[in-house]
Amino acid sequence: MKKRNETVLVAVIAVILGLLAGAVMMLILKKNPLSAYYNLLQGSGLAPKGKYAGGKSMFSDFSSYIDFLTPMLFAALAVAVALKAGLFNIGISGQMLTGAFLATVLVGYGNLPAVLAKPLVILIAAAGGGVVGIIIGFLKSRFNISEVVSSIMLNYIASYIISFFINTRYVDPVSRQSKEIGQASRLTLHQVLVGGFRYDFALGFILAIIAILIVRFIFDRTVLGYELKAVGANREAARYAGIRVNRSILLSMGLSGLLGGLAGATYFLGYTASIQPKVLPSTGFDAIAVCLVGGSSPVGIFFASFFLEIIEKGSTYMSSQAGLEAEIASVIMGLILLTSACSSFILAKVSRRRVEGRGSK
Amino acid sequence: MEDHIIEMRNITKRFPGIVALDGVTVQIRKGEIYAILGENGAGKSTLMSILFGMVEPDEGEIYIRGRKERISSPNYATELNIGMVHQHFKLVSNYTVTENIILGREPKHRLLGVFPAVDMKKAEAEVAELSRRYGLEVDPKAVISGVNVSARQRVEILKMLYREAEILIFDEPTAVLTPQEIEALLEIIRMLRDGGKTIILITHKLEEIRQVADRCAILRRGRLIGVREVASTDAEEMANLMVGREVSFHTEKKKAEFGKTVLQVKGLTVLNEDKFPVVKGVSFAIRSGEIFAIAGVSGNGQVEIAHAIAGLMKESEGDILLNGESLLSKDVRERIEAGIAYIPEDRQEMGLILDFKLKDDLALKKYYRHPFAERKILKHKTFEEYGSKLIDRYDIRCANSTETLVRAMSGGNQQKAIVGREIEQDASLTIFVQPTRGLDIGAIERIHAQIVEERDRGRAVLLISLELDEIMDLADTIAVIYNGEIGKIAPAEEFTTQEVGAYMMGIGKGQEGGKHEKAQ
Repeated sequence: MKKRNETVLVAVIAVILGLLAGAVMMLILKKNPLSAYYNLLQGSGLAPKGKYAGGKSMFSDFSSYIDFLTPMLFAALAVAVALKAGLFNIGISGQMLTGAFLATVLVGYGNLPAVLAKPLVILIAAAGGGVVGIIIGFLKSRFNISEVVSSIMLNYIASYIISFFINTRYVDPVSRQSKEIGQASRLTLHQVLVGGFRYDFALGFILAIIAILIVRFIFDRTVLGYELKAVGANREAARYAGIRVNRSILLSMGLSGLLGGLAGATYFLGYTASIQPKVLPSTGFDAIAVCLVGGSSPVGIFFASFFLEIIEKGSTYMSSQAGLEAEIASVIMGLILLTSACSSFILAKVSRRRVEGRGSK
Repeated sequence: MEDHIIEMRNITKRFPGIVALDGVTVQIRKGEIYAILGENGAGKSTLMSILFGMVEPDEGEIYIRGRKERISSPNYATELNIGMVHQHFKLVSNYTVTENIILGREPKHRLLGVFPAVDMKKAEAEVAELSRRYGLEVDPKAVISGVNVSARQRVEILKMLYREAEILIFDEPTAVLTPQEIEALLEIIRMLRDGGKTIILITHKLEEIRQVADRCAILRRGRLIGVREVASTDAEEMANLMVGREVSFHTEKKKAEFGKTVLQVKGLTVLNEDKFPVVKGVSFAIRSGEIFAIAGVSGNGQVEIAHAIAGLMKESEGDILLNGESLLSKDVRERIEAGIAYIPEDRQEMGLILDFKLKDDLALKKYYRHPFAERKILKHKTFEEYGSKLIDRYDIRCANSTETLVRAMSGGNQQKAIVGREIEQDASLTIFVQPTRGLDIGAIERIHAQIVEERDRGRAVLLISLELDEIMDLADTIAVIYNGEIGKIAPAEEFTTQEVGAYMMGIGKGQEGGKHEKAQ
């Protein structure tokens, strides 16, 4: 209980410090940080804008914010599942692409009815991402190849192979991206007119909430969760206890990849409807930051994603309103990550001293 | 008043739970080879770490060349012309010999008269010169990863000499060498002394001391037992002092009643990571109600025997049978379930998950089974109740009961948790490896009593220990291991402490006396 409080404290302090540092930077640029931050909230549909275009409202902004948030929830969960077993999955971008591309090609361009297409998209993307994860886990457990290296390499392999197929077979000559998928297989009900306003309904969001609860249950209540934690905390001791360490590594990477695939589905077949060749989605990398700020707990990740994605989502509006570059948002994200890394370090120092103090008595 | 180059007075150092050094005073003369002898954990390395500035003493004073010094870092020790060759070499493996030697003290020049740079030519010439002067053969341009262990050791020695060390500390320098290399090293040490250096040699090998040392200090359990002139003493006396003739405490135990054979090890050979045999064709059997102890100096294969039985290391040859059934095809968990409890040597790296709560660590071998889990779902209430039960039964002291983070507990209580957990396994064989290392006397007595209780309950006990006292006190049967082979197995009453000690050093009964006569 106490540990949880401390983790929350670290996250909150990190975010405040990051925002303060961002504010200082804006002051140097002679902009008003308060109004800029308010613009971020407005851009994410959490505060009313001065005026809206036809068919838009604060709630439609908020609905598209949730749509934007959904892939991040999956991606950050994917990081957390691997991290539990002491593994660093940097390959979420590749898993997103793989899962999403397979779902796009196999279902997105077909004519299946929505009731069949949508579940199929989810299953195929999950399986595709899971397979990539298992490959990484296999290389790790069988040949002791660092999962960091293999997952980064697989990112590029996935990205370039997929780009090849998009460019040769599925390209839309106007957008230079893959052709848009049919609405039946899209996981976001896009621009639906309700009561005179247009909303984006992210069906994946419900799935993400379920995934958070399932992962939380796995971590806290299952034999699998106990084993993953043991392997992550002390591989030698886990082996000594009779835990099949290699199997745990495979499972956690497979599960992580599966969640990565779902992040891909909700991103490329939800938030967008096409894949841009040769670009690794930044969500896969930002997810690491989100997971750390969220203390790699499923519920923490929900709040961290919700908060940090405001900065990303609102940046466009902030840029148009305050005349600040949209990239400022990335800088603030970076600062928050930096401060959160520092504060975990400080917390570790403090609690170690406390432990040693107790030990020497 | 003699001219002492080093005086360490009343040095005391405490680590959580143990006193590593207890008022130790040593005085070392300039130009002598001063050996520090003691068993593992006697405090030799700690004493030298203090002299080299890696550890600060809690009490005591250090005088170097008659001046009181506070040695706060290895850098300051280097300034005082103190050098140390560590047991585990501290070299950058992808650097060359020269780069390693000059690291931190590089001769510099200016490229084109402007840019400062390392003068590698000059450095290599200096290293070659040093190597010639002291007869320490190395190739200045060779990369460390490509040279053998004994060359690496020469590089370490040159590193000290390059830093103009006058006081050279060798921490167990022969542990990694072959007999021929040992001869050569001892010759080098002798020559360095003749060149005016002062040498401190940490070792637990009597033979080396007799060959090169002038004087020898003997440490036991953090206390200085005595200092002897090597010329006027013999190996036997030193061995007695090191091991301790008197058994310091005694565990009550009734006469053993042996039952049927529980564990049978037949021709067991185990290879280490480098495919080198560390256990060579070992055979023994343990009966129920028997404490079978393996005595030996650290690193002679005894831990590997325990690992092989538990399934943590693959056996390359031989067979292991538990209650008549071969364990070979079984993995770690299947062996646990077949009836093996194991208290490993390394309690923090292997025996426990330090970042777990106590209740989770106590269930480490049962968490997946009824009543801890039903259909793969954990029953937290069982963890809670089981944890509280063990905390009471084994007197585990912890601040927040079952919720205590194991990392925050003292070493003694961590060990109580492991021992409790393993005893609760109700196994037919319980393996104890170094069960009392680093514990205080009260905890030691408690664990000794538990080992005897295990025996009296009709279990087979395999006790592996470096503490001879412990083995003499507890064992019903003793096997002595040296260099991966068991020298002698016999009932405990047939062994004397000195005899076990002799086998531990690889010199059987009779042989030692012979050598001893030769020396005189």
